[in-house]
This record gives sequence, structure tokens and C-alpha cells, in this order.
Amino acid sequence: MKVTIERAQLAKSLAHVHRVVERRNTIPILANVLLRAGKSSVELKATDLDLEIVETAPGEGKTTGSTTVPAHMIYDIVRKLPEGAQVELQSASDGAQLQVRAGRSKFTLQALPETDFPDLAAGEMTHSFNIASADLKRLIDRTQFAISTEETRYYLNGIYLHAIDDKLRAVATDGHRLAQAEIKAPKGAKGMPGVIVPRKTVAEVQRLIDDAGEEVKVELSATKIRFSLGNAVLTSKLIDGTFPDYGRVIPAGNDKTLVVDKSEFMSAVDRVSTVSSERGRAVKLALTDGKLTLSVINPDSGSATEELEVEYGAEALDIGFNGRYLLDILQQIEGEKARLKLADPGSPTLIEDMEAAGALYVLMPMRV
Amino acid sequence: MPVRQLPENVVNRIAAGEVIERPASAVKELVENAIDAGATRVEVVISGGGRELIRVSDNGSGMNSEDLALCVERHATSKLDSEDLLNISTLGFRGEALPSIGAAARLSIVSRARGSDAAHEVRVEGGEKSTIRPAALSEGTRVEVRDLFYATPARLKFLKSEQAETAAVIDVIRRLALARPDVAFTIAANERVIQYPLRGTDEAGRAARLADVIGGDAHANTVPVDAAREGVRVRGLAGLPTFSKANSLSQYLFVNGRPVRDKVLMGAMRGGYADLLHSGRYPVAALFIELDPREVDVNVHPAKAEVRFRDPSLVRGLVVRALQDALSGGARRSATTGADRLVSFARPQSAPGYSSGWRGSSAPYRGGLAEAAQAAFETIAQPSADARANLAPVLQADLERPLGAARAQLHETYIVAQTVDGLVIVDQHAAHERIVYEKLKRALNENGISTQILLVPAVVELDDSDVAALVARAGELAKLGLVLEPFGQGAVLVRETPALLGETDAQNLVRDLAEHIAEWDDALPLERNLLAIASRISCHGSIRAGRRLKPEEMNALLREMERTENAGQCNHGRPTYVELKLFDIEKLFGRR
Ligand SMILES: Nc1ncnc2c1ncn2[C@@H]1O[C@H](COP(=O)(O)OP(=O)(O)OP(=O)(O)O)[C@@H](O)[C@H]1O
Ligand SMILES: [Mg+2]
Repeated sequence: MKVTIERAQLAKSLAHVHRVVERRNTIPILANVLLRAGKSSVELKATDLDLEIVETAPGEGKTTGSTTVPAHMIYDIVRKLPEGAQVELQSASDGAQLQVRAGRSKFTLQALPETDFPDLAAGEMTHSFNIASADLKRLIDRTQFAISTEETRYYLNGIYLHAIDDKLRAVATDGHRLAQAEIKAPKGAKGMPGVIVPRKTVAEVQRLIDDAGEEVKVELSATKIRFSLGNAVLTSKLIDGTFPDYGRVIPAGNDKTLVVDKSEFMSAVDRVSTVSSERGRAVKLALTDGKLTLSVINPDSGSATEELEVEYGAEALDIGFNGRYLLDILQQIEGEKARLKLADPGSPTLIEDMEAAGALYVLMPMRV
Repeated sequence: MPVRQLPENVVNRIAAGEVIERPASAVKELVENAIDAGATRVEVVISGGGRELIRVSDNGSGMNSEDLALCVERHATSKLDSEDLLNISTLGFRGEALPSIGAAARLSIVSRARGSDAAHEVRVEGGEKSTIRPAALSEGTRVEVRDLFYATPARLKFLKSEQAETAAVIDVIRRLALARPDVAFTIAANERVIQYPLRGTDEAGRAARLADVIGGDAHANTVPVDAAREGVRVRGLAGLPTFSKANSLSQYLFVNGRPVRDKVLMGAMRGGYADLLHSGRYPVAALFIELDPREVDVNVHPAKAEVRFRDPSLVRGLVVRALQDALSGGARRSATTGADRLVSFARPQSAPGYSSGWRGSSAPYRGGLAEAAQAAFETIAQPSADARANLAPVLQADLERPLGAARAQLHETYIVAQTVDGLVIVDQHAAHERIVYEKLKRALNENGISTQILLVPAVVELDDSDVAALVARAGELAKLGLVLEPFGQGAVLVRETPALLGETDAQNLVRDLAEHIAEWDDALPLERNLLAIASRISCHGSIRAGRRLKPEEMNALLREMERTENAGQCNHGRPTYVELKLFDIEKLFGRR
């Protein structure tokens, strides 16, 4: 294999694919990126056995062929090469090494043959649709923060993507809060199975989406999902589990409505939280007619209170929330105002975006 | 098959299996009999791990020929005079031990009743009693057990190696010896002879016996425990956490002088040491519980190893509290082992470079140039920690404090302080970590715990008995931030978890708890989980090793340590400081 490729092109493609490679690997080949030179392009491929990325970059192939080399190392090398350089990749005749040459720099990397490189057999995809990049980004951005990191509840370690009525809906929850966002279902999404897209895949899609152009092609089956984002194709296993019946925890009858300026509320929560200790910081909200008083008491260091003018007409209510959870959710609000629908200090609170329809959040209070 | 009454020797053999499991159980029964007979001297000889021979001689009251004939009969006892099984103050009470041994081995008892001028012997072999014959013995009783389990070969197969059986015999005697410092013991096993001389029954005597049994360091590394509540008293000695062991063999527990391995008490022991030891370390302790015999049932276990308290939570609470109080004597003491070890390490060095040293043997330098250059690099390559001492002014008042006045910080890690009669070296990181941890713990207790209510309550499936145990403790758990309720058959519903734990796995948490409660009857895992997090946070906010401290900061740290409970160990059970008495230092220089 011998191919010449522009440094910037190669660096960008490696930046995309090397992230899929886990830093610590017990299987040596998984630490490598597969390079396959064609006549006018180079294909780069990396996998962690659950997720696979293939990216194509333009290049000038003198001899076609393929090899695999340590992903993080070649990425580091290419990054450090001078801008505008032409990089030449050439494998040794016995395939045991790859030479990387640019200007006066020359590197020799240990290579492993392509034959050992695992393939994430994608199988038959049953559904396929195109979705506007902006829509997909929104579904992810609004819900990603609520994905659980608790590995024993693996079925919560991703975003639940499913079609409902004529909507495509994304839901994530960690058992303390829940986020839901939806868009009008693209053609072809109707009737798709509900799937749980793993956290790592979600994060990769999110990173690649800005370079993806107008639309992203999504293909899926009951076990796999594939996103085609510009030059990159991401294929991922789905989480094999049942997402809980989340509809039951979205409260319908909360009758105490609070409307509050989002950025004022956020700064206030952030300010009063300053006195609380690292974890499980509780912010108390005391609601009376037209007024919201936030307070934090930390017996070790002091206390803080702040008052806000709000729209609130229901009976007085005291309720506590984890300050970080509140901030996480408020951050998602696209409009200027947030609407909170409350019931009592022991029941879920519904938070709605007054501008972005289809996005809603549920937050469970704390008892302090 | 028709139902029939079993022949007596078969009955006896079955009973024997329950009482006499292994040589050590026979030794236990015989030594207990000697103690019950008021002996002040007990001698035990075993060979072959007790399988070939066990001989126990005492100088107790002895038996006359009638008693001797009777004592090997089943249910013959002199100790239970009323029919009141609830009022037992002797170690024996069933009249079961001797017949059981007689059913399983070749037994010979020679005894001379006090005041009588003749001794007699009875033998039992395979359950058959001999006639009473005159014999020779100057005082007390001598019991010989040969070929134990010869009649029940199945039992033989379950015995461990000779060594292991010998160790078990010695362990049994140790436990009894701890209970009775006023009895002298001699144990001869194979070539080994162990002696526990006569000691007093006061605290000093108990401590001396503990030192006899556990080893020389015990005296300096234990604190006395003494507490009473509602007619229950716990006394004894508790080892400092820094003096812990890797197994639980050095935990000696007694109820009314009877050695026990009781779950309630062992749980209480763990509770008392809860966050002073990290897992895998076990305290050294000898605790004596005394209470009205009516408040405790000792007849629940064939070998009497377990007891049942009428009010276990009273006993547990008392023991936990007593241990905590005894161990939290502030910074008063850390294990002396550190200083002892130091003294033993610091033997005068015979470094060849110095021995001829300044006295001026001016051997001509022979090394080549390259070697000299090499040597120069070696000095540069010495550890580069900053060894400049940070000097502090000294106040008389500080000198008189337990941890003294800070004199210097060395290697930006150790504070050296001077006390009236010695010096103290403090590991600043470990010490500060402990202080912060204790603060957090107090805060946790005082301020209560905030909980995160779950959006989707977690259903945890468990055994019915575990469900019942958890539900019975629901109130206590709620105080620790775990709110749960029964949920149909064999499950609990977790509604709230401690906010401190963040996003936690309720399933595992509850299962762990249930297991622990079944065994120990307390909610330690949850508490420990919370404190572990508090501790991780505290590690974060601790003064790291390698930070330069101002003199004022050093003294402040010392004073704070004196105020803090358990300041002698860091959260991981390592000592936070060592104290060197002038005496120790003099030893270092060979002046003592
Ligand atoms: N070393 C001894 N000195 C004097 N009397 C003894 C001695 N050993 C046994 N006896 C007498 O023999 C009786 C029977 O002993 P044995 O050990 O079988 O029963 P026990 O001690 O009464 O009850 P347990 O079965 O609970 O031990 C005792 O009650 C005691 O009177
Ligand atoms: Mg007895």
C-alpha cells in the first residue's frame, strides 16, 4: 500500500475515528486504525466491537492495499506534522510496518494485518430515513444530559429513540430526572422499532454532526443502527433491553404553575449553591404569591437566600431540588422563560420549554 | 421398620457427636470441669493433636467414690441444684460432657475428694463403665482421654491435621485462660509447653493475662473498656486500631466468664471499630460481658459457643458505645508499635565509610576519574524532597500538650513536635484527613441526610425473611436516607436514596444491606457507604503531603488532632503519628 494524502484531511479523519478506539485495550488489534488505500481515496476504520466508524478521505493511491497501525499514535504524529504537508503512507513489503513520511520527517510504525481486524457485521437494516441534521442534533442535545451512568441499569445507559404517532421522540432518564424531545417523524421512520442508542454512540454522533451537511441518513434494525454523517459512517450495536414505560412518570395533573425567567433562575440557583458542599446539594424553593425564595443551608459553612419575582398564583409551597439537576434542565430551555408545573414536595415536577414544543423534563424533588 | 427405643450406648454416641466434635471440644469440657471444681491450677497434656491422648489434671475439689461412679452417667451433674435452667453460674450444667467423652473414647478419671485420704479411679470404654477401684493421686482430679473417636471412625475422617487440631486445643485454653486470670494454666503439646502464671482478677491482672495470651505488645496497645447499663456490664481490653490483625482469631468474647463466639457480640465489635479499621483488618480485644444469668440463655448451642440475650439490642448498644468511648480517647494514644519498631531498626550502623571516618585514615584515593564523576552524580540523584526544616517558636503551654509544640516540618510531609518527655512525628496528610473525616461524620449525624426521591421507585426482590428484617428496620434506614417499604410477596420498594450517594444502584445497596442485617443485625454497610463518600471528599480537602506549612499551621493541626476523636489513625487505619519517648531515644543511642 502506498498513498499520499493531505495532512489536514488525514488529521481531521483520524480525529474522528481515533475517538472510537478505547485507550486501554486488551486486544491489540482494537487499538489500531485500519487504513485502506483506493485509487483516489483512503478509508479509515476503527472499532471497539460495539461501535464502528468508517471515514473516507480523498488521497492519491499509488499502490492500493491496506494495513492497521496504532490509532492514537498515528493521530498524534499527523497532528504534529507541519501544516500544508503532504503525507505519504507506505507499508513495508512484508506488511509488518507502515512508513509515514512528510517533508523531512519519517516514522515507522508497527503494523498488524487487516485480516485480523474485526468487522461489526451490520446485517439487514429494516428501516431507513433521512433526518435534518439540526433535528437530530436537537433530539440529542436536549436529552443527552439525563442518560444514566449506572451500569447495572444498562437499559438506561442510552437514548430511547422511537416513533410515536407522527413524531420521532428521544427520551433519557437516570431515575432521578427525565428528558424528552421530539420532532415530526421523517418519512420512513414510522413503524420503526423503539431502540436504545448507547451513550458513546450518541456522543460520537453529536461530535460528527456539525460536519455532516444538511441531512443525516439513519438506518436501523432491531439490533443495530447506522448513521451516515457526511464522510463518516457510524455503525453501532443497540442496547439490548427494555426501556421503562416512561409515560407513567410524566405527571399530568400538576396544578401549581410557576413561570420564571430562565437566566435569572439559573444565576440564582448557581449563586445560592455556592455555599453548599460538593455532592447532593439541595436548593430549597419557597413559593408564595408572585415570589420565589431560593435557599441553601450548609451547616458547615453558612447559608444563602435569594428572592425572585415570578408568575405564581397557587397556594404556597416549599420544595427541594438537587441544584445541579435544576441547572442541567434549565440549560436545555431554548426560550426565555421556563414553566414549572408542581404538585407537592414529594412528587415529580414537570418543566416545560415555553418556546420549543415537544421538549419536556421531569425532575424528582429531594427531601431535605 | 418398627419404632423402637435406641439402646443406651447408641444414644450416648449420638449425643457425644454433638458435644464432642473434635479434640478441642473435649479439652474444653474437661478444663471447664476443672474450673467449676474450683481449681487454681490446671495442667493439660495432649499428644497427636489430642487424638492419642488428652490429660487434664487439676487441684480442685475432687470427687469421692460415689460421685465418681455417678459422674460418667448421663445427666448426672452436681451443678444444677434447683431445676432452674435460667440461673446458671457454672460453666457446666448438663451432666453431658463426661458420658459423651466416655462414649467416644477410652476414659479414665482418677480423683481424690478434698479432705479425704484416698483416691479412686473409674474407667469408661465404649460406653461401658468399670467398677470403682482405689488409685493413687495427691489431690484434685486427673482425667485421661485416649484414642478419641476410636468408636466412631466416621468422626475421625473429619479431623484436620495434627497441627490444626493442636492449634484448636490451644485456642480453647487461651480463651478459658483469659476468662480466669486467677487460675494458672500449663499446656504441653508435643514438644511445646505454654504457661500462664497465676494473675489477679483486677484490671492489672486481666491485662497481664491478656499479655500472656496475645503477646508482649498487648499491654501497651490496648485501652481498658468499662461500661455498664441497666444491669449489663462490659469490661475488658480493646486493642488500638493500629494494633489490628488480619483475622478474627484475636477477638475474645465472654459472657459471664464463658467464652463465646456470638454473632450479636461480634457484630457489636465490628460496630465499635466501624470506621477505624478498613476491611480485612480485625481488632484485638478481650471483652467480658456480665449480666444477670436470667437475662441470657446459654443453653442454645451444643458446645455452648452461642448464647441468646433476652435483650440483644441493649447488649449490642452497650458494647458498641463502650468500644467507641474507649477508642476515641482523642489523640491520646496511637500504637506504640511504631516507636518500638523504629527503635529495633535503628541499631547503630556500621557504615564502612564512617567507621574509620574522621579519625583520619587517609587512604589514598585510587578510583579513576570516571568513577569520581559517577559519584558526583549519585549525590545529585538523592531524593530531592525539600529537607529544609521550617522552624517554629516554642511556647511552654504547647510543650505540655499531649502532642507537644511543633518544632519543624521535614520533607514537607512530617511535622516534628516536642513534648515534655519525648517527641512526636506527625504524618500531616493522614492527620488532616482524619480530622476532616470526623467532622463530616459529625455533620452527617447532626444534620441528617437529604434524600433524592426516585422517579421510578426500584423494586428489589429478596427472601421473605430479608424483607421482614429490612422492613423492621425501615425507620432506622430512613434516618440514613434510604426509604423503603414492603412490596407484595418477597420484594421491597425503594422510594428514596441518600442524595450523597448520587445515582446509586439501589438493588445492590439493598441486597448488601439485607445480607448484612441477617448476619449482624445492624445497618453498617449503608452507614459505611455514606462515610466512605464523606471520606473521599475529605481526602480531597485534606492537606496533601508535600505542602509547606507555616509554624502556626502546624501547631493548629496538632491542637485540632488533640480535640478530634480517633485522631490516632487515618481513615485507612494507618497511624497518623508516632511518639518517641525520651526513653526510646535513649535506647536508640544505647544509653539504656
Ligand atoms: N475435674 C473435676 N473435679 C471435680 N468434679 C468434677 C470434675 N469433672 C467432673 N466433675 C463432676 O462430674 C459431674 C459431671 O461432669 P460433666 O462435665 O459430665 O457435667 P457438667 O459439668 O455438670 O455439665 P456439662 O455437661 O454442661 O459440662 C460434674 O457435675 C461434677 O460434679
Ligand atoms: Mg462439664
